[in-house]
Amino acid sequence: MAAWDLSVAVEDLGADAPPITVSVTSDLHIGGVILKLVEKSQVKRDWSDHALWWEQKQQWLLRTAWTLEKCGIQADAGLIFMPQHKPLRLGLPNGLNLRLRVCFSGTVFRTVLGICKMLNIRRPEELSLLRPVEEKKRKKVRDLSEELYDLTEVPLTSVSRPCLYNGMPAHFADSPKTEKVYKMLSVSQPAPAPEAIAKLYHPASVVDKAHIHSRWLDSSRSLMEQGVQENDRLWLRFKYYCFHDLEPKYDAVRLTQMYEQARWAILLEDIDCTEEEMLLFGAIQYHINKLSLSEPQTMTSSPAMDDLDSALQCLEVKLDGANSSPQDMLENLTAPELNDYLKIFRPKRLTLKGYKQYWFKFKDASISYYKSKEESLGEPIQQINLKGCEAAPDVNVAGQKFCIKLLIPAPEGMNEVYLRCENEEQYSSWMAACRLASKGKSLADSSFQSEVQSIRSFLAMQQTNPNTHTDDSMSINTHSLVSPRYSKKYKTKQLTPRILEAYQNVAQLSLTDALLRFLQIWQALPDFGISLVVVRFKGSRKDEVLGITPNRLIRIDLGVGEVVKTWRYNNMRQWNVNWDIRQVAIEFDGNVNIAFSCVTADCKIVHEFIGGYIFMSTRSREQSDTLNEELFHKLTGGHEAL
Amino acid sequence: MDDIDAMFSDLLGEMDLLTQSLGVETLPPEPPSSSSKEMNFSMGFADMNVESLNELEENDLDALMADLMADLNDTEEKLGGQKEAEAPHTDLPPASHGFSFYPESSLSTPTSPERGPNTFSAPLADSPAPILSPPTLPQHAKLSMEEIEAQMKADKIKLALEKLKEAKVKKLVVKVVMHDGSSKTLMVDERQTVRDVLDNLFEKTHCDCNVDWSLSETNPELQLERGFEEHENLVDPLSAWTRDSENKVLFQERPDKYEVFKNPQNFYLWKKDKKTIKDMKDRDKELLVEENFCGTSIIVPDLEGVLYLREDGKKSWKQRLFLLRASGIYYVPKGKSKTSRDLVCFVQFDNVNVYYGKEFKNKYKAPTDFCFVLKHPQIQKESQYIKYLCCDDAWTMNLWVTGIRIAKYGKSLYENYKTSMKKAAITTAWTNRTAGTTSIPSTPSPTTKAKASGQANGHAPQPPAEPVAKVGNAPPPPPPMLPTQILPPPPPDPVLPPPPPPLANKKSPPATSVPRQLPSLPTSFPPSPTSMANLPPPPPSLSQDDSSESPPDFLPPPPPTLGFGPGAGSLPPPPPVSFLPPPPPDPGFPLPPPPPDPAFCPVTNRDSLPAPPPRQSNIGAGAPPPPPPPPSASAGLQSTPSVRRTGPPPPKRTTPPLAAPGGGDFMSELAKAMAKKRGNQ
Repeated sequence: MAAWDLSVAVEDLGADAPPITVSVTSDLHIGGVILKLVEKSQVKRDWSDHALWWEQKQQWLLRTAWTLEKCGIQADAGLIFMPQHKPLRLGLPNGLNLRLRVCFSGTVFRTVLGICKMLNIRRPEELSLLRPVEEKKRKKVRDLSEELYDLTEVPLTSVSRPCLYNGMPAHFADSPKTEKVYKMLSVSQPAPAPEAIAKLYHPASVVDKAHIHSRWLDSSRSLMEQGVQENDRLWLRFKYYCFHDLEPKYDAVRLTQMYEQARWAILLEDIDCTEEEMLLFGAIQYHINKLSLSEPQTMTSSPAMDDLDSALQCLEVKLDGANSSPQDMLENLTAPELNDYLKIFRPKRLTLKGYKQYWFKFKDASISYYKSKEESLGEPIQQINLKGCEAAPDVNVAGQKFCIKLLIPAPEGMNEVYLRCENEEQYSSWMAACRLASKGKSLADSSFQSEVQSIRSFLAMQQTNPNTHTDDSMSINTHSLVSPRYSKKYKTKQLTPRILEAYQNVAQLSLTDALLRFLQIWQALPDFGISLVVVRFKGSRKDEVLGITPNRLIRIDLGVGEVVKTWRYNNMRQWNVNWDIRQVAIEFDGNVNIAFSCVTADCKIVHEFIGGYIFMSTRSREQSDTLNEELFHKLTGGHEAL
Repeated sequence: MDDIDAMFSDLLGEMDLLTQSLGVETLPPEPPSSSSKEMNFSMGFADMNVESLNELEENDLDALMADLMADLNDTEEKLGGQKEAEAPHTDLPPASHGFSFYPESSLSTPTSPERGPNTFSAPLADSPAPILSPPTLPQHAKLSMEEIEAQMKADKIKLALEKLKEAKVKKLVVKVVMHDGSSKTLMVDERQTVRDVLDNLFEKTHCDCNVDWSLSETNPELQLERGFEEHENLVDPLSAWTRDSENKVLFQERPDKYEVFKNPQNFYLWKKDKKTIKDMKDRDKELLVEENFCGTSIIVPDLEGVLYLREDGKKSWKQRLFLLRASGIYYVPKGKSKTSRDLVCFVQFDNVNVYYGKEFKNKYKAPTDFCFVLKHPQIQKESQYIKYLCCDDAWTMNLWVTGIRIAKYGKSLYENYKTSMKKAAITTAWTNRTAGTTSIPSTPSPTTKAKASGQANGHAPQPPAEPVAKVGNAPPPPPPMLPTQILPPPPPDPVLPPPPPPLANKKSPPATSVPRQLPSLPTSFPPSPTSMANLPPPPPSLSQDDSSESPPDFLPPPPPTLGFGPGAGSLPPPPPVSFLPPPPPDPGFPLPPPPPDPAFCPVTNRDSLPAPPPRQSNIGAGAPPPPPPPPSASAGLQSTPSVRRTGPPPPKRTTPPLAAPGGGDFMSELAKAMAKKRGNQ
């Protein structure tokens, strides 16, 4: 067989180096070509990761046993010999960027698997890569300042589940630098500046939201094949909104990144919520920020255990102190109380407006007040049980007004009572006591001190003079906790107390619980998990929107934004894609047939979404932990896979 | 209600006395106890000639007694358990202790029982302090070990803590109106959930225990009604009632309670056409429940619709477009869109409950009678803080009320449902079993039998847990005492009440419930004792430690078991009242009552072997009694953790009931005995 010359560029030799020419015959297999190539290059190094890339056809020649003839390669083929793993700049859900060595030759599905293994994210099938939104042309300076965490040197472990070392995967524990990266991955980021939120891209309309989904990479092809180059930027995001088997114990990174994605979705108004919901989201963010800063280790210890420990300690102390008489013991066991002069105002009763001063005693879950301290041993003027009440702040730090507004349920309705405190100190402890009492807890509850603390820090946030901030970690601009719409709508003075109000419901949560709560509320939003694509239904003359969710398809009228129709997957008989006319056809039970062509996204993306969700739904039944990759490709692959 | 309060305080005093006297009889070991106990009970009641008490029906009193006893036993058992845990450390001679409770009293000298009752009744005494003081130091001087003193101190403290806790526990006497208009009175303490109380009522009424049974409160003044959720503590909402309240607690079937789990499509696919909803396949229903309740977050049905809102203060009702979200109910303000950002929050669910309104058309001139109300549970009278909403039809009202409950209670609702289902399934199985037993022709006294097993079943939930646990905790007691030990809490019921009505009740349910349960019956001959034996013991969750501990306690005393073992097995117990009660409490939880006893006999005493075979031939239609080989025993042992689904193959027929308790050494004993028996044949 006639030998001919095949020239191959070797990437490692540099872009300017001339291609190496080897003499081959058509029945030589790819492996042989590589061997010749390596010999001729006379470079001694590990070439095992290298493979041939066929530039014109945009495809890898990975089957080394195939002959050149079988591959259809002739002398004019522009081949490049390059490593299969190359660095990539990866944008994480939390907004930070990693530099990571990833596989450019395997399917994107595989690549994501590798990335997730590296980052210690379980259930990688829920994530995928997408091209970032082109940023508006900013000043060069900012681009340079963008921090990049380099993980390209970190060796990939071969074990299926990385062993933990110091609470992090062993490959992160190698150096302080990588440890820092892991912390960045597993601990949520501090709140962004409100200006930064405003500057980022907001999808303004349904169509904008739909456009985001046109950016997903094709899971069944490789990065190179999709035109992604070395050091390009891609985003790693949760793509399928059904999070299987979330286990805080193992999912530190997954949980954190999920939270970050949710947080940004809310801050950027990618998903709509009501004002009350936004305030609650803000409160939980505040709580999470605070906890992440103060106790980054909480992820590992469960709150229940802490409680138990402290309870045991408490008991020990009590038993140790048992040489005192039983009577003393009993006294020790009685609940602590608060005693002070406060002013009370009951809007209903008093005709002459004004606060009257009394001696107040807070014990268990009720407030009693007396004419004076001296009379506090006798019968109180009134005793108010606070269980089930609502305690709202009525505070103006600048005006030195520290009032607690109590709405106390009674058989006849709610009684409104105002308590006025003298100063911040007094207010913090009484407010904390009221809060606990409203939940039926007494002052003896372990959360009392932390409640006092959080009220103080919220007061600090309202201080008009920013220079007086002493505790930096606590001072967070509440505007950075809500989306720009609410930032514009409310002044800090208005926003802070409302977030504080919402905060009282979540202040007791541990970091993990707070993250989970945030995710739960996010998932409970009506619009949660809907990925939008603009489509044109067969027989229709206008564009409409197709919403793809974990369990159904939604047809949405583009003009009104109303749901026109929903189809559930479990009524779906089959779906087909006509790749020639790029049309998706779906048949449902009861002879319901729909067909549409996709306007904003490729129909492969829509196909992959539907197939992907069906794949996700098969997971719960399959108890095994192993990922059925074959099934995934079968459901999402399209004609190339068959 | 206010006189009930008074009554209760009277009653408590009486109970106190009564229990003190009772304590002497029930708790200390007295050989002839079973007969003397009965006597004591009648004595006790004869003494109680207080007026207030007379107002209560006898049955109520029994019930209250049972509750009280259960309470007492509860604390006592806790203390006993603690004691037990301490004891090994110091190697204390048991009799030396002033605060010796259960375990010691059973071992110790005749004097210690006298002390016992005092301490037992203490939790109900007003001031725990005096009891703390009795210094038993003189006794200890003999031993004069510092350790002991330290021990004593710790004991005292624990006792004090326990009593403090007990003294703080709020208890209410609640009159529950039954579905037939009659009423029952029971005591509820603040730790009991509605589920507990329902179990209690199931036991007392012998109803079919289906998932629809519920407790609800009515407020006649506001014309409201609300079904309690099963995870709520019953005492909480009741404490909100005013003293002169005419509110009632009802025990009734409410189909709306768990409708959302039976027909989720009605709530989650309400927008779809009626036909699709009606023709929903069971599989799809399950899927819907799974989707909405089993994920990381509970999904609230996305309700929206025009409802009438009663304007504050005014008499008019105004229409508004309302939307339900997980975070609350919202409405669309005039001229605004339905998008989330424009919605105005109408109410959030943290501090309010949802109630059905009754006949609001009359009361408030509502457009329809299909109204629901949101209010703080404490509000009992007309107030501007109550929110009234009115729907076009009953269907819409149900949709909203259920949707609000899902939003408010979330996962608990589903958990409650699952618990109810389990409970119902077990009960149905037991009812089947009862029906089966009654139909066996060879049973001489079917009624008594049915009654006994019914009680065993009814007792399953709570109180009985104590006796079993106690046996486990106690050091092996002298043989003759055993029956006495098991007895204490249940007797009041078995001995006195079982009246005809429950029986009549019970006859009807099987007809409806049998078919539903059939699929879960593992074998083809359902009504025989064999299949019952194959069924899981009623409450499998009942502390497995206890059940594993109890068999060893059973083993040592051969004479007594033998005494009534065959009697219970062949079922003609001549003195039914005094003897039948004992079996249910003990085997009821770890093992189904009748079969085990004969089966026990071969283990302990092979002389009684003749007893089982005839039974087997009865059942097995002439099949030769296959002597279960040792391996089957071990297989049974393995099956214990997952009692539920194990469908034992026929040859094991006689073993499963034995296998159930699953004590390791016990099993090997059994295996040995079986092997021996085989060898003999």
